[in-house]
Amino acid sequence: MVRGLLGILFALLGLTQSLAVELRLTVWDSDVALDALRRSVAAFEAENPGIKVKLEPVPYGNYQDKLLTQVAARVAPDVAMMNPENFQRYARREVIWDLNEFAKTDPTFKIEAYYPEIVEAMSLNGSLYVLPRDIAPIGLIYYNKKLFDEAGLPYPNGSWTWDFRMRPELREKDFLWVVNQLTKKNAAGKTVRYGFAPGWPQAIVDTFVYSQGARYVDDPVEPTKLTMTDPRVVRSYELAREMAFEHGWMPSQVELQTSLMMGVQDLFVRQKTAMFLSGIWEVPGLRQKLKPGTKDFFEWDIVLVPAFKDGTRAMPTGGAGYCVLKQTQHPEAAWKLAKWMAGPFAMNEMAKTGLAQPAIAELARVSPWVPAPNDPIEMQYPASRIITDAAVPNVVFNPTGELYPEVVGLVNAQLDRIWLGTTSPKDALASAQRIGTDRLNVLRTESELPPFSWPVGLGLGALVIFGLAAWVYWPERGRKMTRRERQENRTAYLFIAPWLIGLVAFTLGPMVLSLLMSFADWDVIREAKFRGTANYVEAFTVDPRFYPALKATLVYTAVSVPLGLLIALGLALLLNSRVFGMPVYRTLFYLPSLASGVASALIWKAVFRADGGLLNTLIYGPDGNRNLFGLAGMLAPLTTPGSQVNWLGNEQTALPALIVMSVWGAGAGMVVLLAGLQGIPEFYYEAARVDGAGPWTRFRAITLPMLSPALLFTLVTGLIGSFQVFTQAFVMTGGGPGDATRFYMLHLYDRAFVGLRMGYASALAWILFLIIVVFTALQLRMSKWVYYEAAP
Amino acid sequence: MIRAVSKTPVVLALTLGSVLFMMPFFVMVSMSLKSPEELARTSVLAWPVAPTLENYRFVLANPTISFQLFFRNTVVIAILTTLGTLASSAVVAYGFARMKFAGRDRLFLLLLATMMLPGIVTMIPSYVIFARLGWVNTYLPLVVPSFFAAAYNVFLLRQFFLNLPRELDEAAMLDGASPWEIFARIVLPLSGPALMTVGIFAFIYNWRDFMGPLLYLNEPDKLTLETGLRLYQSQNDDQWHLIMAASTLVSVPLVVLFFLGQKAFIRGIVMTGGK
Repeated sequence: MVRGLLGILFALLGLTQSLAVELRLTVWDSDVALDALRRSVAAFEAENPGIKVKLEPVPYGNYQDKLLTQVAARVAPDVAMMNPENFQRYARREVIWDLNEFAKTDPTFKIEAYYPEIVEAMSLNGSLYVLPRDIAPIGLIYYNKKLFDEAGLPYPNGSWTWDFRMRPELREKDFLWVVNQLTKKNAAGKTVRYGFAPGWPQAIVDTFVYSQGARYVDDPVEPTKLTMTDPRVVRSYELAREMAFEHGWMPSQVELQTSLMMGVQDLFVRQKTAMFLSGIWEVPGLRQKLKPGTKDFFEWDIVLVPAFKDGTRAMPTGGAGYCVLKQTQHPEAAWKLAKWMAGPFAMNEMAKTGLAQPAIAELARVSPWVPAPNDPIEMQYPASRIITDAAVPNVVFNPTGELYPEVVGLVNAQLDRIWLGTTSPKDALASAQRIGTDRLNVLRTESELPPFSWPVGLGLGALVIFGLAAWVYWPERGRKMTRRERQENRTAYLFIAPWLIGLVAFTLGPMVLSLLMSFADWDVIREAKFRGTANYVEAFTVDPRFYPALKATLVYTAVSVPLGLLIALGLALLLNSRVFGMPVYRTLFYLPSLASGVASALIWKAVFRADGGLLNTLIYGPDGNRNLFGLAGMLAPLTTPGSQVNWLGNEQTALPALIVMSVWGAGAGMVVLLAGLQGIPEFYYEAARVDGAGPWTRFRAITLPMLSPALLFTLVTGLIGSFQVFTQAFVMTGGGPGDATRFYMLHLYDRAFVGLRMGYASALAWILFLIIVVFTALQLRMSKWVYYEAAP
Repeated sequence: MIRAVSKTPVVLALTLGSVLFMMPFFVMVSMSLKSPEELARTSVLAWPVAPTLENYRFVLANPTISFQLFFRNTVVIAILTTLGTLASSAVVAYGFARMKFAGRDRLFLLLLATMMLPGIVTMIPSYVIFARLGWVNTYLPLVVPSFFAAAYNVFLLRQFFLNLPRELDEAAMLDGASPWEIFARIVLPLSGPALMTVGIFAFIYNWRDFMGPLLYLNEPDKLTLETGLRLYQSQNDDQWHLIMAASTLVSVPLVVLFFLGQKAFIRGIVMTGGK
């Protein structure tokens, strides 16, 4: 009876499961913002029974790669958070909906309510692809009122301007003059309090560049040319550099990272800088760190960045919204969700956190975004939040061109050298222009490559397989089989069918496909393009990580395999000597190879930790004063005086550290060799002893030859495995520091599954494959030293 | 045989070696039993003054990352793949060992050639194929290939079958038994040790597989112990006490299994060692 009822219950549950629509929503928000999202999602579900929403936060750094990969693998979410810089690569691949299609038939939706600036930034060729949720003008200067009072300056009201030279005659209307007044230096001339700090150097430079009317590219939507060497751009970088290095008005990146060792927000909180430039998202952190009534509190507010002397005010901006993926099974429900999350309720929830300015203009002018008199005291800060609305007409969106993110990465790598003080802006911008333009041109020609001809490719592949089949059956040609033989033949093929099918489906087929892909440019979403041998050429000539990856892998292999083998052999020999408790020892040595690979990597991360890790505790002692075997002294060149070696963080020690770690897995080889040793008949040794042979001779003449097959086996498998080392680097170092541990497999994984350059990655795979084949063939060739005992 | 007199240096070396090898495990367990405050204060070499299981409780009670689920998933995958491996490898190996068919020797050469094939060259296209089939985020890409006889296992079992005396086969054939019956009723029952070996190695290999689940499993609920641990670590980067507790949890199952099945395991290594 009960069982019957339960059965009905289960059936009902199953039924309701299929009625409920489940939508997946990916976001990169975290902490307070994520809480706000959860509240919005809960409210949506309450308003829409029958729709369940699964909120999936992904860290910002990985977000785009993961999303693109999911699209490629056909497991995309229904709604995804998106920003202007990245949406084009989805729009152009036609994997997200043109939201006008939904808006057309939805009378409740009013696009005019949103700031036109962000609507335009999220559109392409008249189609709106992302529903804006927030806009984040990066032109807000947070200022410390107390320090202004101390300097006798009136609070800035936004009417200030800037020029390349300080204009003391304008007093508080000149930005540089104010900064200078607020900077405090000690007797030696070193700055103890900065007048100003940009959230990141580019922020202030962008303001300088944009407010002069200059830009970095010719067309932000489809850049064809970089304009980094525009004199106005150069002068802007020069000004920022002067502010940091010559006047000491603002901290340099070097100072932030080494002597100050804190972020700009903390600098402000600790009153080491009177002002700092950022977007509105600093507010939750500031509210938390500057609580009224506490000892560290001071009055603060925000103001717009200065305009250029001609009155033009411009600033970069961020922004985010939601797009709807075409792979969704429930487009109408997904549109509802996107509309809700980019609608008033969700925007106000977000506004309450102080983190994100609503993209609907009206909402940015009233509470809860703008503080109301009866708001709790914390929410009153910053008081001048209404200026964020005034900021919007001044925003300049970064180029949204699809090819731009890759170019900008290269460009920024050049420009970073300015902030490190090693290169002049003129030189850095010139090389950024050159490198960026080269890359942009390559990317643009690539999109004009001829399509990959699959029929030809697959035809060639089929030919290869037929060739192989021909080779297999060649000796059989012309042979006539008896009826019995034919029957046995048929049955036998049934037996080996699993392997034969697997051979074609999982080995030969993929190998052929991989070879074909290595001549193509393919992201698995769009159609493949034919590149000829360009992938291989790129690997050997252009890819900056190719040779480091090869080198790291070769070095790792060259050291860890012989080392591991020697230790495995040594251990096996020791264990073979009839000591008491041999099984115990054997187990202890073998256990590490059995433990989880990821867990091992994490354990060794703890071993190599610079601060309190096992290795450093052994060498330097728990209080840092010991000097084990004088090692601390010997290791001194690898680190700064007074601190311990950072094994995984130091370019010179990271790879050796991983090699040492690989020895831990020697137990696996040890058991194989031990088994081999135990298989050597005792009487060989007896006979040798009778003949007067000493232990070394016995080893050389009996042990080694008898063990040689096992040795060869361990060597070859060790080599093949070691060439494909991946997990340790993936979990412990991510390839760093620099490229010190960027193993080949890691680089390949990155190219294939993060960059979605499957064609290029296939070429990389084939290069390594050929290297392994050559090595293995060489080894087998040189294996004349392997002694095979005749079969009994 | 080494005489008893010179055993002391051996014992010393072995003891020192074991201590060195076990130290990372010691650190893992001891860190997992310390509270974060104690972890920050004390030396990593010191066993916790007041060992606590709180870290384990915390890890296991995580609302979004369920190690219990990871364990279950890993068990399912490992068992399915082991069954698939055993079934397919045995059948294919028998075909190569006992039967005559066209192209047998050259096909076997082909098998040998693919035995040491680095996975790198089939990884990407396999992913593309599975993605097109819609198999991503399921267990299918991990389990299905195991039913198609990996070359290495076929090789091992074939060696074993070749060494079985043919008289039993021949007697059965005279009685009119079909090859399948000979295989199932005579050869298989005699192959216990070899099958056990292949099964154990397949189980361990699939249990510890990281790359496969990394590529094909997206949803946190579907992850295995290895990839789940990685996810946990990426979200709790600096919380060493929690990470070590999670690592211990993940390492325990195989170690326990090893202790239970030591004999069979070592015997398996002996069998495959010299080949």
